[in-house]
Amino acid sequence: MAETATPEAIPGRIQTTEEKPKSGLEPGYLVVCWNDPVNYMDYVTHVFQVVFAWARKKAEFHMLQVHEQGKSILKRESMEKAEHYVHQLQRYSLHATMERDE
Amino acid sequence: MKLIRVTKGNFLFHLGKREKILLSQVLRLYPRIPPASFRLSKSGKLPDAEANQRLLEESLTEQREQNRKALQAFLTDTRRFTDTESGSRLSLSPSELEWLLQILNDVRVGSWIILGSPEQAMEFKLLNEKTAADFWAMEMSGQFQMRFLEALEKREA
Repeated sequence: MAETATPEAIPGRIQTTEEKPKSGLEPGYLVVCWNDPVNYMDYVTHVFQVVFAWARKKAEFHMLQVHEQGKSILKRESMEKAEHYVHQLQRYSLHATMERDE
Repeated sequence: MKLIRVTKGNFLFHLGKREKILLSQVLRLYPRIPPASFRLSKSGKLPDAEANQRLLEESLTEQREQNRKALQAFLTDTRRFTDTESGSRLSLSPSELEWLLQILNDVRVGSWIILGSPEQAMEFKLLNEKTAADFWAMEMSGQFQMRFLEALEKREA
């Protein structure tokens, strides 16, 4: 499923964080919720509270971001965790995807 | 439909006779979202994208099949609704209410997709004899959803 990073040691060269290949275990994936005209605002808030165990205020903040800006980045996670959250959100029929954080 | 009380976390609702029939009719429409609608990523720039997409579809298909069976049991359980003079009483645990919200939203979003995913302003331009049933399903499932969400809010307050 997820790619596995193979560390490569190159003599005389310091590998920076940016150079490391992204593996499924690194928090390099974004969980994004997209706007649509069908899901009720209260419902979206409720789902965010349930799936992420967020307080109502935080859930409302992200719901409004979805509504006003067309999308909201809900989490930055490892591939497995991001996948898990997308599965959860889609169980509630929200328009959610995961995208590579580039 | 209105919330009578919340006791030990359980919700007790009153439904008019017609509301009980409407709720059953809406729930029987599940599942409504076409399976091809579930996308794991918009950009598609994921490792093993196809395999992961398949995993999502399998997971949701399995979950929907479980929901469909549970829904059948829910709708045929004669003890679920207690008849009163003016209608019925429906008792739901928090997890049952949560589950019904998912079911109702599937019917709502699925009906909207079947209607061609219209923008809100365009909705009524698409209303005609052919689409009336899908509009009805979308609106009716939304009405029940709102009542359940109000009940959850009252519990929080």
